[in-house]
Amino acid sequence: MLEATNALGNAVLSTGGTLTDPSAAAALAVGLAALGAGYAERGIGSAAVGAMAEDDDLFVNGLILTVLPETIVILALVVVFIV
Amino acid sequence: MSAAGSSNPEFVVARVRARRGQLYGDEEYRKLVRMTPAEIARFMEESSYEAEINALGSRHGGVDLIEYALNANLAKQFEGILDWSEGALYDLIARYLRKFDAWNVKTVIRGVYTGASQGEIESDLIRAGEFDDRRIRRLLEADSIDAVVEVLEDTIYGDPLRDAYAEYEESDVLVPLENAVDRVFYERLLENLPGGEPIRQYEAFLKAEVDFRNATNALRLARSGAEIDPAEYFIEGGELFTRDTLARLARNVDELVEYIAESGYADQLGPALRELEEANSLIAFEHATDAALLAYGDRLGTVHPVSVTPVISYILAKEREVENIRAIARGKEAGLSADDIESELVIT
Repeated sequence: MLEATNALGNAVLSTGGTLTDPSAAAALAVGLAALGAGYAERGIGSAAVGAMAEDDDLFVNGLILTVLPETIVILALVVVFIV
Repeated sequence: MSAAGSSNPEFVVARVRARRGQLYGDEEYRKLVRMTPAEIARFMEESSYEAEINALGSRHGGVDLIEYALNANLAKQFEGILDWSEGALYDLIARYLRKFDAWNVKTVIRGVYTGASQGEIESDLIRAGEFDDRRIRRLLEADSIDAVVEVLEDTIYGDPLRDAYAEYEESDVLVPLENAVDRVFYERLLENLPGGEPIRQYEAFLKAEVDFRNATNALRLARSGAEIDPAEYFIEGGELFTRDTLARLARNVDELVEYIAESGYADQLGPALRELEEANSLIAFEHATDAALLAYGDRLGTVHPVSVTPVISYILAKEREVENIRAIARGKEAGLSADDIESELVIT
């Protein structure tokens, strides 16, 4: 196992360090942004479902508010095109 | 509906806020005060009390119908809140709602003591606490106080009630039993609260409630001049009084009023205390403590929007609404004027 890790490390270093690659950093940025959006949507979503359970008319408002954090991911996606 | 897992304040708070919007406001109260009991029942039927009024309408009428519909609706709403909440949130809400368990236990004990029929006791219960239907049914089927104590054996009231029962058997008065139930409730209320800023605020709120209860009890005792030991009625957990200060102050109304006026609650209770000194009206003081608690709960609910506090603020507001409507209906039945009834209401 340890030898394998060593071999992997050597391979990474010899190919120029994948994690310092700009596109890898951009991928990480998108991933983290999506994680943040998911966490935000968790709270908003459960609140929206609660509000909808009391009043059906709130469905549209609830839906809009729930997907609002999704914009973070779209903005983070811009980074992918810049690098 | 359990105390395990993570809590879901977002869901519960959203539902509770929607329900809060349906509570009666100034406008509705002004209309209600000018109605007869039958009209009040009809008015309630057109609002959030529809299901209860319809279900009970065939069996009861007039003020009784309003009263039972209010109790049933209160129980349904609070039961719902306990159903939705999970984890730490459930524990925090259940602590507060156990006061209905305490109320039910006391009602059953009193009912058995006075020999009331099962139906009579049942209609006075508020099924909003933690006890499930099975336990309530067993409580109702109990035909002696000993049997009631036995049914509650495995609950938090078990041991204290057992001890108090021995005392009851000697003296044949219910006070020890009722005190035991109340004390268990208040002990559990403030015990082992988890950490966090909203919880600290919640704790401060609960302490204020205990303080107000102590203050009201002490004022009542002081004014009645009865030879009762005030320490008997002291509730632990508050910040304003200790057992000794309360025992000392309850002998003298003026000193007691002064003590409260100089405490941290002076801002909220100041006007009511002045009224108490001038008009000697304890009702105004009790309403002032209720209004202060309501306002306090409201403020907490907005300071920490995603925590237990908005839920507690709703529970208080709902209880207040039920009490207000009951006061209006009973006042109308007794033939009080609209102005008199309005002075009995607590509206924030």
